[in-house]
Amino acid sequence: MLSLRSDPKLFELAQRVEFFAREKFNMTLPEMRFFILDPMEFAALLEKNVYPTSPINIWEGKKIANKKHRIETGQESALYYEVVQTGNPSYAYLNETNSALTQASVMAHVAGHCEFSELNVLHDSDFDRTEYVMHLVRKANLGRQQMGERRYIDYWNACESALPFIAPNSQYNLENSIDKETSMVASAVESHDVVEPGEEPISLVDVTLNALLKTDTAKPFVEMEKKRDLHEAMSRRGYSLRAPCQDILGFLRQYAPTSQAEHAVLDYLYTAHMHQDFVIRTQIMNEGWAMYWEKKIMMELFAEDSVRGAIDYAKVFSGVCYPRPYFQRNPYHLGYHMWLHIEDLYREGRMSLDYHEETDLDTKKEWKKPEEELNPQECMRHLVKTITDYEFLRRFLTPELVEKFHLNRLDQRTAQQLGIKNEDVIRADRQWVWLHPEPIKNEMLGFFAHYYRPRIYIIDTNFMDGGLLLMHRDDGRNLRADWIRPTLNNLNRIWKAPVYLLSKDKLYAARANGYKESTVKGITFEEAAERLSQQQQPFKAA
Amino acid sequence: MDVDRISSDESEGFFNDFIEEQLNDLVEDIINEGDLDRTDASGSDLIVEVDDIEPPTLVYGDQGGGAGAGQGGGEPGDEKGKLKFEVPFDRFMELVADKLRLPNLLKEGKGKIKEVSYEFKTFGPVGVLLDKKRTFKRALRSSISTGVYCPKEGRFDVEVRRKDRRYKVPQRVETPKYKAVVFYMGDISYSTFGERLELEKRLLNFTHHWLDFNYGKNNVEHRFFVHDVEAYEVTPEQFYQVSNIGGTRASLVFDLVSNIAFNEYDPATTNFYGFYVGDGELFGNDAKEIVEILKEQLHPMFNRLALVEIQPSRMSCLNTEVSKAFGSDRVVRTCALKNKSEIIKVIKRMFEARHA
Repeated sequence: MLSLRSDPKLFELAQRVEFFAREKFNMTLPEMRFFILDPMEFAALLEKNVYPTSPINIWEGKKIANKKHRIETGQESALYYEVVQTGNPSYAYLNETNSALTQASVMAHVAGHCEFSELNVLHDSDFDRTEYVMHLVRKANLGRQQMGERRYIDYWNACESALPFIAPNSQYNLENSIDKETSMVASAVESHDVVEPGEEPISLVDVTLNALLKTDTAKPFVEMEKKRDLHEAMSRRGYSLRAPCQDILGFLRQYAPTSQAEHAVLDYLYTAHMHQDFVIRTQIMNEGWAMYWEKKIMMELFAEDSVRGAIDYAKVFSGVCYPRPYFQRNPYHLGYHMWLHIEDLYREGRMSLDYHEETDLDTKKEWKKPEEELNPQECMRHLVKTITDYEFLRRFLTPELVEKFHLNRLDQRTAQQLGIKNEDVIRADRQWVWLHPEPIKNEMLGFFAHYYRPRIYIIDTNFMDGGLLLMHRDDGRNLRADWIRPTLNNLNRIWKAPVYLLSKDKLYAARANGYKESTVKGITFEEAAERLSQQQQPFKAA
Repeated sequence: MDVDRISSDESEGFFNDFIEEQLNDLVEDIINEGDLDRTDASGSDLIVEVDDIEPPTLVYGDQGGGAGAGQGGGEPGDEKGKLKFEVPFDRFMELVADKLRLPNLLKEGKGKIKEVSYEFKTFGPVGVLLDKKRTFKRALRSSISTGVYCPKEGRFDVEVRRKDRRYKVPQRVETPKYKAVVFYMGDISYSTFGERLELEKRLLNFTHHWLDFNYGKNNVEHRFFVHDVEAYEVTPEQFYQVSNIGGTRASLVFDLVSNIAFNEYDPATTNFYGFYVGDGELFGNDAKEIVEILKEQLHPMFNRLALVEIQPSRMSCLNTEVSKAFGSDRVVRTCALKNKSEIIKVIKRMFEARHA
């Protein structure tokens, strides 16, 4: 791993990229640190979740061994484009085998990602993220020595089962699902503080009469009584569930009884993986934003002749932005063209109230009334600050854009493989099939409900005396049966008490004395959530 | 950042340890079921396929879930549910030796045959091959001390004197060479096809690889012989292809091997191995004649002689006669191979140090 300063030309190029990003385009950027890696370092970095170090583990070993085999046998190219770990500072890695042109485009692209992470409503740009994870790696390695090899491997493997259940940005994250003693106290103090005395009545007679006339609407003691009741209802561990919790690993990290070494492992795994939730929720906007600014900055670099090869760049750019059908989601293509479209909307004044209130369709069609005081790029930044992919698509993706971006276009072979019905096809030629654009938006939005993963929630932390009850939110599909038992056993290992899973009308139980499946009368997710909000037990086994 | 190099070597080592454990468990399966039927496999890597490992978690059972599930399935590129890795052939043989507790074969001939090579590791003032680097270093040093080379005064000459010259001096290296010859003898008078042929192939191919591993591929000569009522030498390919229907006389092939061993090799410097495979159904005095040949001609000269009856019938009598004569002998081993699951047992019996 080399510092960018080891290559003066590249260093100068980085300076130019940063100049245009900060000065010319007013981008809000954290400190960006670039490093140069060889291809195998790049491969290793990707397996370490884009951190330079990671605790020893078998899964990373498996992936890197597989990757090496694939690179050696020519099944996979060792060329990687760009990798960045956002945060403040952000760490971006360049592949030493890339040309200066590619390096420049990578740096410009990274600037886009960094700004997006910094501005976005989910704000994925914490201070010293990489350094903190490296600190956690050291703690986990120390934990390995404390635990011993065998126990460390077993515990790590158990945690791997819970890795898909990280949801820090979910509606049902820890913050929204768990009441803690500390948060209760804080809110009690807060509510006490904000009790306003109300407007003093005009002194009519004297102070005594005033006191009698004064209406005592605010009754802080009543609120306090309620809070106290809630405190008493809390479990001995100092927390209680007020809503289903989807951030299962986050919950286990905070509340599972762990040794210091075990906690170090949990801490590392959660922290290193939690940012994937941000990526999945903002991928289209994020990649589109990065492509948008990459192109802007590259045009500047070409104009001042800092880099050459505009034609080559155009080829690469169009390759990256190649349209794919909606279910294959090419976020570069979709995001980039969506941002261009939005820029046009602002530029032509089509986001104004006047435009929306205009009833004449012809006028609307020809509408071009730019609002002078409005800067389209600042408006786009406002969008970045306020929404994620779901709202981005819901608000801006129209059936016309679905057609324009070829989201409804499949090649004939894929259409046959998927068994596309004739009634879903609007036209076809020898190579392509076009689907009805109308339902595609909803299909795409559906992704954000489940991300193609079953939705699992904690709905009781004291089920049948200390057990952790998980619930599979029924969406008509079954869970992979042969993995339920080992997964629950692994969670049981972390929770150190029985773990149950309620899926449809089945209750699966992993306890110290064995594994059991039983048929029960299932409940819906909404019922469970409702009961939790009323401080009731969400599910009772017969 | 206090990191010089980003690497997953430690984790990879961790994974390799895990694979090593798996491989230990797989050795028997590879011998019994693996695709080891090419005799030229030794020296190349083995591709071993095991079930993929994945951390279990709660996922949908109906894999994929339609058009949308673009991210499903195992690792990029690996065959779904399978994990492939390469094992160097010698490493595999070491594992086999370890797992089956096979001893190193006796390497007789040590000290008698020498392999001579020359290494250029030392240097002297006389010789044929000039070591330019060393010579230049010495010349530069002496030129500096004599003032011929003095950049400060603008003199940049380097004078190479005779005594500066350094030559590479060859050193004779003798390493003991082990030599072995293996005679494979097969009965083609019985119906060698299907399962029988496969058993025979697996057993003899393993023997082939094992001896190659022990002596080094270039130091072992493999010779193939077949017999019905006559005995003759064939190529390795023909060994598994020729067949005949009719009578049989196995003693002829033992006699032929004995003659070749005596006449074509130096018994003082060669290790001899003989493996006979057949159904063991012999007629007349054939078995007794074999015992005689074994006792008088082969036993004193051979390191190991193994007679394997492949899927023997009630008529098989070769092993009975040979066992009577040799009992638990150091050199002669008799075994019966009925099915695939017995291959490991037979291999152990053929090669173990002491006959149980």
